[in-house]
Amino acid sequence: MSPETAASAGMEQARVNEEARNVVEAEGLKAWYITQAYGVERTVKAVDDLTLAIREGEIYGIAGESGCGKSTLLKALLGEIVSPLTIVGGKVEYDFDAGKIDALKQTEEDREAIRWRRVSYIPQGSMHVLNPVRRIRDTFHDFIAAHQETTREQSIEMARNYLQELGLREGVLGNYPHQLSGGMRQRVTIALATILTPRLIFADEPTTALDVVVQRGVIELLKEVQKRENSTLVLVTHDMGVHANLTNRVAVLYAGNLVEEADTSTIFRRPRHPYTRYLIESLPRMGDRSERVGIPGRPPALDNPPDGCRFHPRCPLATDICRQEVPPLLPVEGIGNGTGPPHRVACFHQVDAPLEAGEIEHAAEMPHAD
Amino acid sequence: MTLLQQFILPRLLQWVIVIVVGITITFLIPRLSPVNPIQQALGRLTQFATLEPEAVLQLREQLMANYGLEGSIVEQYFRFWGNLLGGDLGPSFGAFPQRVNDMIGRALPYTVALLTFTTIMGWIIGIIVGTLAAYYPGRLTNLVAGVMIVVYPVPYFIIAFIFLMAFTYYIPFFPLIGVFRGEPFEAEFIATYLHSTFLPAVTLLITGLSFRFIMARALGTAELSSDHVQYATMAGLPDRRLMTSYVARNTMLPQVTDLGLSMGSIFSGTLITEAVFGYPGLGDLLLQAIYQADYNVVMGITLLSIVGIATASLIVDLSYPLVDPRVRYR
Repeated sequence: MSPETAASAGMEQARVNEEARNVVEAEGLKAWYITQAYGVERTVKAVDDLTLAIREGEIYGIAGESGCGKSTLLKALLGEIVSPLTIVGGKVEYDFDAGKIDALKQTEEDREAIRWRRVSYIPQGSMHVLNPVRRIRDTFHDFIAAHQETTREQSIEMARNYLQELGLREGVLGNYPHQLSGGMRQRVTIALATILTPRLIFADEPTTALDVVVQRGVIELLKEVQKRENSTLVLVTHDMGVHANLTNRVAVLYAGNLVEEADTSTIFRRPRHPYTRYLIESLPRMGDRSERVGIPGRPPALDNPPDGCRFHPRCPLATDICRQEVPPLLPVEGIGNGTGPPHRVACFHQVDAPLEAGEIEHAAEMPHAD
Repeated sequence: MTLLQQFILPRLLQWVIVIVVGITITFLIPRLSPVNPIQQALGRLTQFATLEPEAVLQLREQLMANYGLEGSIVEQYFRFWGNLLGGDLGPSFGAFPQRVNDMIGRALPYTVALLTFTTIMGWIIGIIVGTLAAYYPGRLTNLVAGVMIVVYPVPYFIIAFIFLMAFTYYIPFFPLIGVFRGEPFEAEFIATYLHSTFLPAVTLLITGLSFRFIMARALGTAELSSDHVQYATMAGLPDRRLMTSYVARNTMLPQVTDLGLSMGSIFSGTLITEAVFGYPGLGDLLLQAIYQADYNVVMGITLLSIVGIATASLIVDLSYPLVDPRVRYR
């Protein structure tokens, strides 16, 4: 399945109400890692001045290379701020039924009330997130009992019903994590994260480290979980193929900045930012036998990002303005039907053309940013 | 069947080999030592009187026979095993004609009572306090940890001497040497027992506790940063659940191993603490026996110690799968 057909298939499966409200909003968010060792302060600007809004019921993808701040953004959206991660500025707000909630100032009680019941999290590398010396059923009981009145029997019954509903083997409840395969552990973790029917689910690289056959099963499960209650799913992965298969909208992150955000089909068909074009170019396509070209260079170190557009050292289209000024993230004019969120791009030299194989790498001689 | 064949039998075999080799070595070592028990005994007997050379020779042969030191070393070795399997550890050389069995029998309950109590209490308190310290870092925790880290490397006999001086000399509340009056389990015996045992028990508890605290805190801190604890924290699990089932429970494997081995070494006593406090346990007995080249007593205590440690490691080995489901009988 090519990414484009997959993208349109994904669009059909999960249709988002056009007038849906924003379930989570971030404004001017700055999440930095501030460490101090032997009196030397080091600041890593993992997420820098980022604004986004995620609508209820959509599957929102966050894409980008490793080290561009995807996981940090997710932690900030989740309100899980543990030193050395520090919120330097901006805000994150949830909006469920009862007014806005400040995600960054959660107290213990808030956390008990919000986490898992409203907002849940499927972690990166689920291999080790289950307690190795506890049976799965007891872990389920611990997680349920933390948020609602229950007995052990009730919890296990609830877990059994939920696993059945998701088409998972209920026998796993009696197992220890090491007795399960990697794919099964990931599925159990997804069930564990969503058993209390959260409205907003954050998933951090849920399919990474699984082989492709198992990945497919996990993607199906995520879709299933999202569809049950029309929850909002925020999916972080570097795998553009997964975005094509699963998401409604994609945000592309580069070096802590949001560089492009649009409907999944637009992102895959008419990406405007050179970085996005590179990301999609690197995907293999059916029938296209030309060699895949990676993006030259590597993402900048975030303790000292380049001036201007952070992508300019690797960008074939870069000019003087890119080196001096930060391009603002602006809606693309004249695109869209006016109801959904606009296509937003942060680039001075947007490419307004459908993506064609092998186009961009011939645009200029590649500078090496090492 | 496969469980027995593949897991239990090899370990039992290992246990037997360790004990046989250990006993053989302890049989040989005193016989290689320059102290000759016959000379020692003769020295004691002839200290205040001169004997005819013939009488001395006769006495020497008589002593050799009594001590079981006749014949070549190989003959002695097999005779020794014969007696041992019959449950007889032979006579004491220093306190002839007392039997080693009786001497050890008298000292054993004292040592076992003292060490079982201090080892288990130190283990439990150390793990609880250490895990709490790992879980709640802060000023108070740092203070406690600081004290423990200072106490831990101080040799326990120094602590023993400090306590001895402080509480028997400057504040003469406890006896200088253990005094035990009355028959076992009478009120008087229990009172004098507690009075005499308090200081050695506190000394051992403090040193055991500091080690356990440091170990529990280090293991707990490592466990806290593990993925599964962080995920459970993120999911808003209550602190008590996290601390018990997610942190402490997962550090149990090394702690149980260590407890097992400490329990095994109970049978060798604590040489110095017992000597310092005049506590009539195995350690004190062993010390006297070494001074007097009392082979049989040294052998008897060493044997207990070898069997104790070998058995403890066997039990620890067999109980691993109960503590950690990831360990399978293979």
